[in-house]
Amino acid sequence: MVLVLIAFPLSIDVSQYDLNKFYFSIIVISLLMISFLATESIFSEDYEDGSLEQIYLEEKDFYKVALTKISIYVFFIGIPMSLIGSVFSFANGVSADELPKIFVVLLFSTLILFNLFAFGSALSLNKGAMLGVLVSLPLTLPVIVLLGRAVRTIQYGEGFLEVLALLLGVGLILMAIMPLIISATLKTHLE
Amino acid sequence: MQLITANNLSYSINENQLFHNLTFALDSGSGLHVKGGNGSGKSTLIRILLGLTSPTKGEVIFPEPSPFISYLGHKNAIKQYLTPLQNLDLMLDSSSLESAMTWMRTLGLARVQDEMTATLSFGQQKKLALIRVLSNPSDLIILDEPFVGLDDSSRDLLSKFLSARLDDGAGLVLTSHIDPQVSCDELILREKEDV
Repeated sequence: MVLVLIAFPLSIDVSQYDLNKFYFSIIVISLLMISFLATESIFSEDYEDGSLEQIYLEEKDFYKVALTKISIYVFFIGIPMSLIGSVFSFANGVSADELPKIFVVLLFSTLILFNLFAFGSALSLNKGAMLGVLVSLPLTLPVIVLLGRAVRTIQYGEGFLEVLALLLGVGLILMAIMPLIISATLKTHLE
Repeated sequence: MQLITANNLSYSINENQLFHNLTFALDSGSGLHVKGGNGSGKSTLIRILLGLTSPTKGEVIFPEPSPFISYLGHKNAIKQYLTPLQNLDLMLDSSSLESAMTWMRTLGLARVQDEMTATLSFGQQKKLALIRVLSNPSDLIILDEPFVGLDDSSRDLLSKFLSARLDDGAGLVLTSHIDPQVSCDELILREKEDV
């Protein structure tokens, strides 16, 4: 993520473009890529070494495992990514007052993205990542649209809380439901 | 006490029927040695008993409360990037760790306990995976080819351990091409002959 955010402004003539206006899009694209790459093998190691079978024998489903793994990813990858994205926004003309808003928007977005890509990863277990991408990527498009809307509300100062509440609500619903779906998906792979 | 009951189990895959209408029950203190050629469905039967695979027909019934099952299949469920000690810490409850450490010494793994599991041989990794079974106070032990990769002394140890657990009232289901030298009933799955 850092590489993309540093390389991008260096690769274009900043005098011709107003970097502030579209830099956030670069952050969103980086977030998308990182979320996909980070969750690509979230379950594959446990599947390949047989740990999933042992977990199933103890727990009879994978809900707790899926929820715990996604939470850990959000905590250890999502929070730093959101911080980095906020800092780079600041470095590109966003005022200091708006930094906490950007951080929170990015954090709630990673909550949603990690859930979606974790589902794609569970679906494509042992079958190549392309299946997961084909399923997850369309589901992330509404999130990207919502992120764009959130940025506009930060820039113009209206409706930010409403969009934030929507992001948080969707994120929490996915955190509750997606591990159920992932659990069923992982079980079918064990069959 | 009956630990597990299988009623009319059948399994087919790709129009190939592996077994049909298998019915058996396992009591405390008794063992079942599932035998058969390659592809006869031994591992599949084990996975059906564990609930990992659904049968085409039939059911598996456990009593209430369910027996505590220890299982070791073809995959060891150990992490290559951890040491044996760290793997045991991950696998076992604190109550079983002392027993696990004793088994580590008995099986000759104490001298490699702080090395990366990835550097251990196949047999050493198998022994490490077996410690989960050896240390847990399980009511039902289910093993799929447990003797593969073990040296003669370890095989003897495992056979004696399994016999002792049967005497203690545990149940045992295992598949093995090697004679387990444990007093068990036999269930033979026959491979269908090509016509």
